[in-house]
Amino acid sequence: MRLPLAALALILAALPAAAQEEFDLEGTVAMCVSCHGEDGVPVAPEFPVISGQQYFYIYTQLRDFGAGRRDNDIMTPISADLSRDQAKLVAQAIAEMPWPEIAAEAEEGDRAAAESAFTAGQCSACHGKWQGDSRIPRLAGQQSDYLIQTMLDLKHKTRANAPDMSNIMADMDEDQIGAMGRYLATLTVQ
Amino acid sequence: MKMIKTLLAAGMVAGAVANSATAQEETTSSTLYGDMQYVTQDMLTRADGDGNNFLHTNHNYAQTRYYPASQINTSNVGKLRPAWIFQTEVVDTMETSPIVVNGVMYVTTAFNHVYALNARTGEQIWHHKHSMGPVTTYCCGPNNRGVAVAGGKVFMGTLDAKLVALDAKTGKQLWETQIAEPELGYSETMAPSVVEDMVLIGTNGGEYGIRGFVKAFDTETGELKWTFHTTPENSVGVWETHDATGRDMLRDIEAEKAALAELGDPYETLGGGVWQNPAVDLETRRVYFVVGNPSPDLDGSLRPGDNLYTDSLVAVDLDTGEYVCHFQYIAHDVWDLDAVSPPIITMVKDENGNDVKGILHGGKTGHVYVHDADDCSLIRFSEAMVPQENMWVLPTADGARMLPGANGGVEWSPMAIDPNLRLSYVINLHQPMTYHVESTPYPEGKLWLGGAFKVIPEEEQWGNVSAVDYDTGQIRWKVRTEQPMIGGILATAGGLVFTGEGNGLFKAYNSENGSELWRFQAGAGVNAPPSSYTVEGTQYIVVAAGGNAQLNYKRGNNIIAFTLSD
Repeated sequence: MRLPLAALALILAALPAAAQEEFDLEGTVAMCVSCHGEDGVPVAPEFPVISGQQYFYIYTQLRDFGAGRRDNDIMTPISADLSRDQAKLVAQAIAEMPWPEIAAEAEEGDRAAAESAFTAGQCSACHGKWQGDSRIPRLAGQQSDYLIQTMLDLKHKTRANAPDMSNIMADMDEDQIGAMGRYLATLTVQ
Repeated sequence: MKMIKTLLAAGMVAGAVANSATAQEETTSSTLYGDMQYVTQDMLTRADGDGNNFLHTNHNYAQTRYYPASQINTSNVGKLRPAWIFQTEVVDTMETSPIVVNGVMYVTTAFNHVYALNARTGEQIWHHKHSMGPVTTYCCGPNNRGVAVAGGKVFMGTLDAKLVALDAKTGKQLWETQIAEPELGYSETMAPSVVEDMVLIGTNGGEYGIRGFVKAFDTETGELKWTFHTTPENSVGVWETHDATGRDMLRDIEAEKAALAELGDPYETLGGGVWQNPAVDLETRRVYFVVGNPSPDLDGSLRPGDNLYTDSLVAVDLDTGEYVCHFQYIAHDVWDLDAVSPPIITMVKDENGNDVKGILHGGKTGHVYVHDADDCSLIRFSEAMVPQENMWVLPTADGARMLPGANGGVEWSPMAIDPNLRLSYVINLHQPMTYHVESTPYPEGKLWLGGAFKVIPEEEQWGNVSAVDYDTGQIRWKVRTEQPMIGGILATAGGLVFTGEGNGLFKAYNSENGSELWRFQAGAGVNAPPSSYTVEGTQYIVVAAGGNAQLNYKRGNNIIAFTLSD
């Protein structure tokens, strides 16, 4: 879901003046895209596409990084410096950017293996058509390396901010996770 | 509660992006039937005998889904053909019950679009797209199960936990009310119900640690009139060790009592969503509804006690929302085998063979439960409609297999009855699953299952349509389907029942014996409850074919109306 610019203006209007004056939104977003891609294509395959990702998902991840619920050497210190309102501004600005087109290929058998795993985990109950909505991230068209690493991190609980996802991934093996990651990367972004 | 008149300028809604008043995207108005879209209370009250309209989600306040028209019947249903197909702009999961008022049909889609259609031709009259706030939290799919109608208004609950009132002629929004906080897991997918000057609505959120409720709002203003919390401040109950059918649920009562002393009553995050419409008894001025699972679904260690009134039939006073009676099917549920399918009011035989006013509910356990409406007590439960194995094994870290799986039995799908045949018609799932538990603290609005229920991919899944004699509890007939069933069913005075499947088939059965009399391939999952109506002397059957997110059935965007070919 993307919010119109008018909505961003409303957020800005609602923030305390001091928070707006002291916060360099443009500079912060520039820092984000230095890794995640000015054109939305991340500079490394293991970095996620965030340009055009769901606003509330980005916001919750920033908050979770900042609070230590999700740990990453780069993201944790950056996020820890953001207030709640600043995190909303950053999330909004990133969500407003277009999702990039990134070529991806699945391997033979990936689709069937992925769909079997989706059934076992009842993944579509939350992830729907893989486009994301609000707190549910878009998975369609995401970088496969990032998706696979994320699912492995959830499985091994090295990513701890979505415990029920860890429970669902616990029984998935690496072949299933690989198939899901590669297949999801090929899906059309709607 | 925050109520926002949509006439307010956007700038007045300080800091509330969710309430941005940029929403009005209504299209043109072209009323086709004069001023007859006005729905009176008398029409709503007498809906059970109305063979022209379809005014309630489940046709009438008793929720029988028994349609009194018989032009389409067992002798001619083989000639049923599509009269028109309307395609919405949203290709996604559809659970809408079409509502028909004097030739105008109201349907909804995923993400809260509402369409008014000419029920005879399928022509669009207007389209309203809800202006969704940035925060939504919902399970299981961006569903909407339809609107309620009353007066000149159409009412809808939204994924961002609002109740909106639209002008029935134009689709323009008249008011909206924030029901609860979506960031904490509240959302609306059920259709509201209207009684007199009240709109009744429950809430989703049992997978997110909400505190469930049914609320009544003023139809004219959207102001809150009363709230019934489904998890009372003392949710402990009587430490019930057996389920409604008498089976031991293997509770460790001593451990729970120790947890209660340490943790206190868990009612504030105990779940107890109400997913479906209440049945309304205007004679006694009572409202009957069923309450969903406790939160977290699989982890009972954090919520000692019976977890009242989760997994229960509950009756409250229509005018005040005060508690009247309840019956709990599963105390301290750790399997998510909760109560979701909407209850039905009808006369039933009691233990002595006397006719009493009864309440029927189809459970995820696979039983139809029959209650005495007077005190909610259980009269009987039916034979199991699906296999039950290993009940009630407790969830484990590695997973314990038990049947039914967590989707049922009977999911949210409404039942229907034929009061002449004394049969209830029920659609079921058979999905073998393993139940896993892993205790995690309340995550403030994130998914909170306390484990996982996992489909066993190697095991066959299927569904069935069952006809259950509610006076005896015996299954009269049962037809197996290729896939687990979710959506709903309609019975008619033509001796028919209609229901759809995930593979796109929409079928008519002989309601007396279950023989299949007609089928149509809709091209996408038919996982919504059918309706019927009559316009200019012609009876129609209508259903949405949009697939289902929860079971990942093929998505579509069709509303298909059928009538007899010449």
